[in-house]
Amino acid sequence: MRILIADDEAMSRRLLQKTLERAGYEVRAVENGRQAADQLCVANGPKLALLDWVMPELDGPGVCQEVRKRKEQSYVYMVLLTSKEAKEDVVAGLGSGADDYLTKPFDPEELKARLRTGLRILDLENRLVEAREEMRFKAMHDGLTSLWNRGMILELLGRELARSRREHVSSAILLCDLDHFKNVNDTFGHVAGDEVLRETARRLLSSVRSYDFVGRYGGEEFLVVLNNCDPAFGFVRAEQIRKTIAQCPVQTSNGVVPVTMSLGVLLSHEWGVRPVEDLLQEADIALYAAKAAGRNCVKVAFPNAAAAIPESLIIEPAKHRR
Amino acid sequence: MKHAEGDSSNLTFDYEELLVRVDNDRELLRDLLLIFKEEFPRILLALREAVTAKEGSPVATAAHTLKGMLLNLAANQAAATAARLEQLGRQGESSRYAEVFATFESDAGKLLPQLDACMAEVCK
Repeated sequence: MRILIADDEAMSRRLLQKTLERAGYEVRAVENGRQAADQLCVANGPKLALLDWVMPELDGPGVCQEVRKRKEQSYVYMVLLTSKEAKEDVVAGLGSGADDYLTKPFDPEELKARLRTGLRILDLENRLVEAREEMRFKAMHDGLTSLWNRGMILELLGRELARSRREHVSSAILLCDLDHFKNVNDTFGHVAGDEVLRETARRLLSSVRSYDFVGRYGGEEFLVVLNNCDPAFGFVRAEQIRKTIAQCPVQTSNGVVPVTMSLGVLLSHEWGVRPVEDLLQEADIALYAAKAAGRNCVKVAFPNAAAAIPESLIIEPAKHRR
Repeated sequence: MKHAEGDSSNLTFDYEELLVRVDNDRELLRDLLLIFKEEFPRILLALREAVTAKEGSPVATAAHTLKGMLLNLAANQAAATAARLEQLGRQGESSRYAEVFATFESDAGKLLPQLDACMAEVCK
């Protein structure tokens, strides 16, 4: 564990450094409060600090105040070292944001015990952050495939559409559906079905650029958003995805499963300022057209194409695809 | 510690406490004594000049530093005198600087030879 010690007095620095190194800490020592604040405020700086109260440039409480202002960073546990023992001094020190204080001259065992308290707090914080990050990931990702979940991919699509309109560039929306997936579940079982979905997700991710978005839209439906792409690229990339999915069957725990995918493509710039839901419906129509054309193919949505498809088939297209 | 001038009861620093502080690490003790020997005259001079000039803030700053150094060596009597000077400096009681500084010089005068003896023993 790294620890920062800040003390303008060389003997104290040496004593602290040796005591803490012996206790297994990786020690960084500075001579004034300014240097301490700078080091504690950088990302990946030490998370544990021993700060002398009286220091040139910036005193210990001043360091605490500066560090506490940086709320976006992970917690720094700070102990003030002081020869001030008056109650009001202790109150002022803790009020500045220090977690604890030690009176000089310190007892080595007490110092180590106090720092162990700090380590427990930091460990607790780490676990809380990990739990928060895990919950955040789960709130945004699909549990099976780890792709963006439906809510998140729609939000990302909305943002991307707004950006593409603002910057007068085009985005491509690819609505993708595995063909005859129900048969996979029925024939190979749901475990194999899940393996097919995971492998499909992997292949989709490997087929797009790092800044494109891929989400699980529904059961075996996926939504791909290609950012800032011209119309020709949108169609070509959709074809590449189709080929990648169909190229080789998926090896599952219950046998080899051949898979193909139908894709409906929509290029945002051709559709003017329309809500996300409208655009998705158009992509859905194109997807349905791909299904109707025999599956394992790509169809591009064109303005007014909807008129060519009977309304009864458009309203609930998913019902007819599988 | 065996001492050139007599037994440890005459010491103006607490040798046992000092050993606890350095965790019986003679190398660390030697380092501390070396730093003290190098730093002390410079800060003492700064304190003397501040006392002569009757400037409260520099008196408090130098006395505070000396107090910390002396506490690290368990030289509690001299540290207490430095603390008094620091307090006077903070309060701006310049009329008492010279008197307390004289006491401090007296404390230091007893302490320094003992630390030198301690250093000689540690360096054996």
